[in-house]
Amino acid sequence: MILRTEKICKYFGGLKAVDEVDFVLRKGQLKSIIGPNGAGKTTLFNLIAGAYLPTKGKVYFKDQDISSFSLNKVSRLGVVKTYQINHIFPSLSVFENIRIAAQVRKTSFNFWRPAASYKEINELAEQILTQVELTEKRNWPASTLSHGERRYLEIGIALATRPEILLLDEPTAGMSCAETNQCAEMIKKLNQELGLSIVLVEHDMSVVMSISEEILVMNEGRTLAEGTPREVSDNEEVQRVYLG
Amino acid sequence: MAHDSTPQKPIVVYGTIFVLLFLPLIISTPLATEILIWTIFGMGFNLLLGYTGVLSFGHAAYFGLGAYSAGLAFRNLEASLPVGIALGVLAPMLLACLIGALAIRKRGVYFAMISLAFAQMLYFLALSPLKHITRGEDGLTQIPTMAIFSLSLGKPLPLYYFIMMTTSVMLFATWRILQSPFGKLLQAFRENEERAKACGYNTTLVKFFSLVISAFYAGLAGALNTVYLGYVPLTTLFWLTSGTMVMMTILGGKGTFLGPLVGVGVFLFLQNTISLFTPRWELFVGAIFVAIILLFPAGIMGTLEEKIAAFRLKREAKLVKE
Repeated sequence: MILRTEKICKYFGGLKAVDEVDFVLRKGQLKSIIGPNGAGKTTLFNLIAGAYLPTKGKVYFKDQDISSFSLNKVSRLGVVKTYQINHIFPSLSVFENIRIAAQVRKTSFNFWRPAASYKEINELAEQILTQVELTEKRNWPASTLSHGERRYLEIGIALATRPEILLLDEPTAGMSCAETNQCAEMIKKLNQELGLSIVLVEHDMSVVMSISEEILVMNEGRTLAEGTPREVSDNEEVQRVYLG
Repeated sequence: MAHDSTPQKPIVVYGTIFVLLFLPLIISTPLATEILIWTIFGMGFNLLLGYTGVLSFGHAAYFGLGAYSAGLAFRNLEASLPVGIALGVLAPMLLACLIGALAIRKRGVYFAMISLAFAQMLYFLALSPLKHITRGEDGLTQIPTMAIFSLSLGKPLPLYYFIMMTTSVMLFATWRILQSPFGKLLQAFRENEERAKACGYNTTLVKFFSLVISAFYAGLAGALNTVYLGYVPLTTLFWLTSGTMVMMTILGGKGTFLGPLVGVGVFLFLQNTISLFTPRWELFVGAIFVAIILLFPAGIMGTLEEKIAAFRLKREAKLVKE
């Protein structure tokens, strides 16, 4: 397994946002986390990504304890998150957004050599632009993109850092029906063709059920159920609490 | 909103240098010299404020320390011009390392206030406890006229062209920095620090390096100011120097390549011209500043570049549609 949490907890004062959750992700797996609002999905995400320090418990990436690592350190290891609300570099061009992320492993503090001269980085950025279908708008300021396109760019930025695990936080939020289907296809492709391990937090059940290999259901900070999409959708407790 | 306005090709740099060659034919040589010195200061300040998005209200500390370090080296150690300037650059960089190590994790107005506090501390140190070194309110006087390759810099034109060459080097260096991966990273930091972190960047280090580089520029400008004036006024360390720099940068357009030059040029030209007619020049410069900001909300160069960018985008959108 590539990632696991061991009885991980995050308390905000008296609120137990995440309480003793064991999460396991195999290499190349696409696993979703679902649950009602306030179930602790995004908090669990942030604990894995290094955005929060756990109150108790551990996070292991390839058997290395990363519980105390910061967001940027976890990202450099290869566990990269996207955001629920778009976090892009709005005034920079679409291409520059991706190139900046792509240069992180190669060069960051070179003050003199032009960024454009790093062939490998530019090629990677171009390749990712194609993957997220934004080639035509490569020179546009990111702020001028539509909501759906920004969500794609968000994924593109994360991909450019060459992650081993991609943490996608509600990637289809605010998208139209057609855009949602297209996005789900893209996520599936990333998982199957590139072999990326993906953790997906998503509210759209059609997306979750169609592309996930396994699902973890959370409620009030704890694990409610875990299994294949079929097992989860058949679970009476899950139906009562979440699926209705 | 700021945007990526770094010119892709160095033609802008060469064109600007070409214009600077003839500047003394258009305005008085001392004014042209002053514009260049403040432009170097402004380019460094713009790297920090315009490109990194970090507001320092204490940049007078680096400018003043550069001026005093060079002045003391010239006067007390009889240092040559390169040695004096090197000391004038090194001392502010060390100070920036110290301030950076203590305060760089602070954000927004907190960092601005801490930097102001450090600068004022330095000002009051120079005013009284270190008066025997800095000569307090009188400023550091009796600095010898400097020379380069046996050419005296006591006359306005040789001095102008010496400072112009330095400015040209700094213009080119700034352009290279902004084209580099680090320059791109500065802009990413300004745009979205959280996202830069999530990409794997140590954003504290980015801010720290930006501050130290900015102090390099300020120190160099301070040292050149000492060569130009032949003395170091205490006001180089005063908060008003920092405030003036903020005004100049905003006037020209923060986060634009030529913004500092334009901002400094307009400000000093107005100051010099209006002060010929009235001792209350600040009142008029202030009013004009307000008017310019109302007309050009992103500063002179910022607004112009935004208009050009909007035009280009419109053209590109049309091409995509077709």
